[in-house]
Amino acid sequence: MRRILMSLAALVALAFATAQDDPLKVAFIYVGPVGDYGFSYAHDLGRQATQEHFGDAIETVYVEDVPEPEVEAFIDQLVADGADVIFGTSFGYGDGILAAAQRYPDVIFGWGTGISRAPNVLTYMADFYQVYYLNGLIAAALSESGDLGYVAAFPIAEVKRHINGFTLGAREVNPDAEVAVRWLYNWFDPAGATEASEALMANGADVLAFTEDTPTVIQVAADRGYPGFSHYASMVEFAPDHVASGQLVHWDTIYIDILEKVLDGTYTTTNLEDVDYFWLLEQGAVELGSEPGVPVAEPFVDDLREVVIDHPEFGEIDVYELVLERRDQMAQGRDVFEPFMGPLEDRNGNLVYEDGYMPTLEDLLSMEFAVPGVVGPWDNEPQ
Amino acid sequence: MDVDLALVLTTLARALAFSTPLLWAALGEIVVERAGVVNLGVEGMMILGALAGFVVAQSSGDPWLGLAAATAAGVAAAAVHGLLAVVLRANQYVSGLALTIFGLGLTGLIGRGWVGRPLRNPMEFVDLPLLASVPLLGPAFFQGQYVLSWLGLLAAVVLWFVLHHTRLGLVVRSVGENPAAADAAGVRVLWVRFLAVTFGGAMAGVAGGFLSLAYRPSWGQGMTNGLGWIALALAIFALWDPLRAIFAALLFGALFTLSFSLQEFFAPQLLTMMPYLFTILALAITAVRKGAGAFGAPEALGEPYARGRR
Amino acid sequence: MNGLRIERRGAPSAALVWGVSLGAVAVAMLGTGLLFAAFGVAPLEAARVIVERTILDARGASEVVRRAIPLMLAGVGLTLAFRARFWNIGAEGQLLIGAVAAAGVALFVDLPGVLTIPAMFVVGFLAAAAWGLGPALLKVRLGVNEIITTLMLNYVAIYLVRWLVNGPWKGSSLSGFAYSDRFDAAAILPTIGTTRLHWPTLVLAVLAAVAVAWLLARTRFGFEVRMMGESPEAARYAGVDFFRTTLILVLVSAGAAGLAGVGEVAGIHHRLVDPGSLSIGYGYTAIIVALLARRNALAALVTALFLGWVAASGDVMQVALRLPSQITGVVQGLVLLCIIAAEPILEYRLVRAPRRAATPPDAAGPEAT
Repeated sequence: MRRILMSLAALVALAFATAQDDPLKVAFIYVGPVGDYGFSYAHDLGRQATQEHFGDAIETVYVEDVPEPEVEAFIDQLVADGADVIFGTSFGYGDGILAAAQRYPDVIFGWGTGISRAPNVLTYMADFYQVYYLNGLIAAALSESGDLGYVAAFPIAEVKRHINGFTLGAREVNPDAEVAVRWLYNWFDPAGATEASEALMANGADVLAFTEDTPTVIQVAADRGYPGFSHYASMVEFAPDHVASGQLVHWDTIYIDILEKVLDGTYTTTNLEDVDYFWLLEQGAVELGSEPGVPVAEPFVDDLREVVIDHPEFGEIDVYELVLERRDQMAQGRDVFEPFMGPLEDRNGNLVYEDGYMPTLEDLLSMEFAVPGVVGPWDNEPQ
Repeated sequence: MDVDLALVLTTLARALAFSTPLLWAALGEIVVERAGVVNLGVEGMMILGALAGFVVAQSSGDPWLGLAAATAAGVAAAAVHGLLAVVLRANQYVSGLALTIFGLGLTGLIGRGWVGRPLRNPMEFVDLPLLASVPLLGPAFFQGQYVLSWLGLLAAVVLWFVLHHTRLGLVVRSVGENPAAADAAGVRVLWVRFLAVTFGGAMAGVAGGFLSLAYRPSWGQGMTNGLGWIALALAIFALWDPLRAIFAALLFGALFTLSFSLQEFFAPQLLTMMPYLFTILALAITAVRKGAGAFGAPEALGEPYARGRR
Repeated sequence: MNGLRIERRGAPSAALVWGVSLGAVAVAMLGTGLLFAAFGVAPLEAARVIVERTILDARGASEVVRRAIPLMLAGVGLTLAFRARFWNIGAEGQLLIGAVAAAGVALFVDLPGVLTIPAMFVVGFLAAAAWGLGPALLKVRLGVNEIITTLMLNYVAIYLVRWLVNGPWKGSSLSGFAYSDRFDAAAILPTIGTTRLHWPTLVLAVLAAVAVAWLLARTRFGFEVRMMGESPEAARYAGVDFFRTTLILVLVSAGAAGLAGVGEVAGIHHRLVDPGSLSIGYGYTAIIVALLARRNALAALVTALFLGWVAASGDVMQVALRLPSQITGVVQGLVLLCIIAAEPILEYRLVRAPRRAATPPDAAGPEAT
């Protein structure tokens, strides 16, 4: 509490200081509370790591719980407060950011998960589809029934990518594996996530993955003794013996790269029209792990080692080795291994990518189909 | 056929678990409204109960101590409403709304330090001895449930008995039906109403505690997520009858779980809309039948009592 | 307490109304100040920053007014309903339905450009009015409590919007995110300069307030509405047609909230969005607007501005004062609680008097102004 007073005093002092000494002021706008243990929490971990990386060269602030249509009003306040760079982390901030960017041409904006840019607006995304593919390998090996469950927030292209990646991975280990999907139509809905998980387990699913903003699925699965996966950050604490692996994000890799280029003058308020970050394992923006540095939680390593499959590329290989092989391949680049590499059929039997076709960024961002093995309703599915 | 039966049983089992907080809170609101007061602050009292329960259970390691704290928090919040709406005769609808807004804000603020950690000693699933092995009924209601779910059913039966077959129940109903007559008969109307409101708070507190101690053993800002409003609808849909509330709660719970298990067939938003439409429908139907003797809303529901003398 | 009696006042004087209302606000501000102090922010300094950023700054002021617009429209409508003791808690749902209807026109109806906006307002008004019709009919025909029905219909409206944006009306160019497509330029309201102040809706709000005030003060309809609210028995005796009057006043009240919804989609969002984004509880805040205005339509313009200012101040508290976001909710709740706690002072007074026969209970209550 005293800190707030001191920072107020510091602000006053700053006003008297010379302009050159001002650190770059970077503001972050979050759609949820930083304590949500989901999307906003992960971004704030990234902000803290970024602040630490740059030390006195930048000053970061954040606002949380900002409703999407109110983002413009908050941008006004942040600019009035002297922000030089503003990151808005939610897709729904787009209209507001693009409008405010015209009004404040001297401010650099970043639109997280965004789809369109402007001279002073760049977009950025750390995408999980490769990691979900790896978790799919793990899930299929851990499942006794071959029935996997997936609790998903919204049927958006990003989540469809996740589910498809997960399913492709699962089928690489067990060609009969099926992934049943339940939609929450919500990012935050603890009761919904509970009942969706229970419905999946009642239908036979014995490993659960998810894309939504709470650790609910992990807790509910653990209650029944089934494994789950961390999402965004470590959720091991919520079910110490039941988190097998997971998808972790390091937004700081992207934030640091952007801000370095802002500080050295590479990025200006006039040349961001084509700056779009879509960072993956290769750039270290995402990581496979139940917690940072632990790709597969200890108790599950042996389980995975016991499952040995005859793999077309690697021959006889246990799944633990397979997971690490695939991870290292993808870390070298999409051209070394890409889960969605053609030929790829959707679950209705349409050939979506020809043999040898490498899906482009555009393909990934507009993914609508479901791969074979996905079970359940699927909005906007091509027939 | 087997699959269908399994679906029915799991739906019932999950309906019971999900509807537990709804039932507790609705039972409280039924008593409040039976006494002639409306409290739209259920959501606010629930969330205060959820936070208080979590904080105490986390610090003490005892979830039942947490539940006591949740109950107390609900009572304290309800007392504010009782003071404003019953004693001061302020507009009770706005007072309830204010309680909800205030409760959501305050818990968000206080709860910041408690977010993101699981409860270390949550209430667990248990099987109820004997009843768990009954065919059909066992798997539907008595296997792998929370103790509070069964206590909720028990509370409904007890409340029904008290409301309809005891002098205390008569007193409560009389201040809701005809406060002037009750007053003339020597009942201290405001006092009874105030106590009814705090009882409602206690029950809403338990409902909130159930969320953070059993159902979702953790604390999250806004974790009640509208359940308080569904409970409010439930109290009315049950036509202020605790026994009917059991079936209404199971119906609402089944609709909610079915919105996930039947996603292939129904838009989930349309299924979750149903409880609210049902409530309006139930009110309309009772109103039509009211002349034929079916009982409806307490006569003096929502009307402050101001005889002007103590 | 012996010998003291609570008695209903007659109409409180204007000075008392102002004094008590301002007193309640002052107490809430004091509580807010203490809260600020608890978080290490000097209250007076905080007040200075907030005023500087929300009132003295042109853009900040535009945001205050922008937030007040839906509160004005919905609030004015509610003053009318509350006058007749029709407790419409459903402005939130009526606002959403107005927005849905307007979005339907913007997205799917091919109209000559100049007609689009007027058509959206007309259709939005009518749709919301129709949404209010159900509770009105249930109330006057069957005596069903309108508070409960209007409240329940809010949730029906919320899920309806949610279904639309996730299902049939989901936009085609948004990677599956749950918003409708963006409206054409012809369906977007003009704003003042680069602000978000969609002035046509503001003009409409002021006109609506004047119209409702005129209706209430100068017409037979207004007389009947006031009589229904002040003394239903007398109204019945005087031959007031409860059915017709209730229907009309609810249509106007709900319709006004619908207009607010049209303004939000056509002026702010430019598409149909999730109900939680579309209205940040404007319909509920409007209840406070109407009550704080003591059910006076013109005064509702002022109280809407006040509550718009409270909301706008929340942004400043977070950004400039570094207070946690949750404090906004606490402050709003505090303002609310103080305001309603003060209400009874205007309705009742303590008198020292000998005991005598009680007021008939059914005529008692703060509603019976």
